[in-house]
Amino acid sequence: MTDTGLRLRPPRNKVDPRARRWWRTQALLLPGGPLLLTAAALLLLSVLFFPGALPWLVPLTLLLLVLPALVFILVMPRLRYRVHAWEVGESAVYTADGWFWQRRRIAPLSRVQTVDTVRGPLQRRYGLATVTVTTASTAGAVRIAGLSDEDARQMAERIAEAARLVREDAT
Amino acid sequence: MSEVNGDGMSEARAGETSEANSQWRKLDPRTLLAHCAWLGPPLGSLALTALATGGHLTTRAWITLGIIALVFTVITAAGFVIWRRTRFRVTTEALELRTGLLSRRFRSIPLHRIRNIDLTASPVQRVLGLVVLRIGTGGHQKRIALETLSRAEAERLRTELLARGGTPAADAVLATADPRWLRYAPLTFWVFGGVLTAGGGLWRALDGMGIKPWEIGPVRNSFAELGHRALWLTIPLALIAVLALGTLGAIALYIKDWWRYRLEWSDPATLRVSRGLLTTHSVSIERARLRGVAIDEPLLLRAGGGATVHAVAGGLGNQEENEKRSILMPPAPRAEALRIRAGVLGEEIDTDQLRPHPRVALRRRITRVLAWAVLPVTVVLTLLGALLTPVLLWCALGWLLLSVPLALTLARSAYRALGHELRGRWLVIRSGTLWRRTVALDRTAVVAWTFTDSPFSRRAGVCTTTAAVAVARCADGHHIRDMAAQDAAGFAESVTPGLLREFLV
Repeated sequence: MTDTGLRLRPPRNKVDPRARRWWRTQALLLPGGPLLLTAAALLLLSVLFFPGALPWLVPLTLLLLVLPALVFILVMPRLRYRVHAWEVGESAVYTADGWFWQRRRIAPLSRVQTVDTVRGPLQRRYGLATVTVTTASTAGAVRIAGLSDEDARQMAERIAEAARLVREDAT
Repeated sequence: MSEVNGDGMSEARAGETSEANSQWRKLDPRTLLAHCAWLGPPLGSLALTALATGGHLTTRAWITLGIIALVFTVITAAGFVIWRRTRFRVTTEALELRTGLLSRRFRSIPLHRIRNIDLTASPVQRVLGLVVLRIGTGGHQKRIALETLSRAEAERLRTELLARGGTPAADAVLATADPRWLRYAPLTFWVFGGVLTAGGGLWRALDGMGIKPWEIGPVRNSFAELGHRALWLTIPLALIAVLALGTLGAIALYIKDWWRYRLEWSDPATLRVSRGLLTTHSVSIERARLRGVAIDEPLLLRAGGGATVHAVAGGLGNQEENEKRSILMPPAPRAEALRIRAGVLGEEIDTDQLRPHPRVALRRRITRVLAWAVLPVTVVLTLLGALLTPVLLWCALGWLLLSVPLALTLARSAYRALGHELRGRWLVIRSGTLWRRTVALDRTAVVAWTFTDSPFSRRAGVCTTTAAVAVARCADGHHIRDMAAQDAAGFAESVTPGLLREFLV
């Protein structure tokens, strides 16, 4: 059983490309925007009132505020888009998400209890949805964010249908 | 209904009870008396104040007395209404419950949904011969409580509801309290934590009564004298005093919690834990809800060769309640814990020889403890030392010399704890050094798998595999930390055959 050489392949279906814009907007709202604004305010105040502090304040704000914000805004959506994917198999639903910590989660369709589709105000603007598939365990909830409306509907339908077919005792 | 009608006997029983008890029943009238117990502390403290002031009550005391009287009236009236309006009955199919004054509420709990039944009694309720009967129905909703019934009535209702009856076989008792186990009591958190908690409580109580401990003559004098005379003697003495007090407290607590402890199969399908000196607990766990057993060995207890046992079971309430209800054995010898696990699971499982995790997990543990515990203190001390006084530099050096070996020992111990294996029906996972947990999970109870990795762990070639089980206790599942990434999917597939196959390459 050790090293069967079997590896998990990524799920087949990518999320909608528009999800990148949604994640970027989210990153701008929090925490990117506030971080950049703080940096700007600090530098402006320093220029106006304490020009002497600039030599050490500029690198410090760049390092602690601007760089993390930019990395988050620019890198996170790209990485997320590369990772996020989903697939409804014959007996299980399989998702991948995250960007720094990446999770791949597999739950048997026979254990599915509910399929929720949620559209936040921001998501609606981009025509996206989040599908949450709950199982009996709180640790077993499968969530995939950034699906297009159409995909979300299809996924929910296929899971519901498959779950009906493979239904055993879902408790 | 299938569970209820499992055998002819219970069927007959169920039929019989429905005939006999289909009329509505009430809670015990003494419930009202038990409600008055809250009067004790305020009246007591008032009496103490009266004593201290020589029978002279201030206006404040009178106001307090008035408020108490008012609250008493309201609570008693409410209690009376609740008692009057609460009715329940057991039919062949369900427990039916009517409550509420204005908005009448009717609840029907199907008997086959009832997963476990606890009887608890506070000291006051015990004096009055009353118990609270709580019903767990699985899922995460609130448990239903009948508060309160007479003990005999509650016992009868429990057998009716579990509808199985039958006297337990002679060998059904898995464990009973053993006075020798008391030696494990001091190896718990309560040795120090207990003293601090008790000290804090006492302080608050004195403060509430308006007594300032440091203003009492003898106390102040002894502090002043001891402090002046010999500090090197005072500190060790104080430590020893705390240790002794804590040990006493821990033993007292152990006795309070585990008096007349008994773990048994009350019938072939129900595991029952009963215990308690003042408040008695009796928790029944249905075998079908039992997903496994966890053996916990916190650092101190492990050093003394002890362990505790928890059941991994659903339907015991939310996470906090589950933590309390799922405990199967007090701190006791490890061999005893293994024996109990075998008795609960029905077979012995070897959990000592597990599949080790890759060597890189040790390196990750060392890095982690150095980066998060050793380094920050060293950096702070060095910086402060450079800015303020060289003494702190020596402190930093001392800290390094002291903490690095300790950190390495802990990291190595944590690494050695890591292990997983599939043993027949049971998925065995072990991890942790400060709080080591060895859990044996029923493989059929796994409802989902999660594989988590970060850029660091990907480079190291490890990932954390999480088995989600339908149990509220472990809201984030059981983690197999830092296992070889190449084995993870294969291992999960071997635990739940067929689940991952279509996603493997």
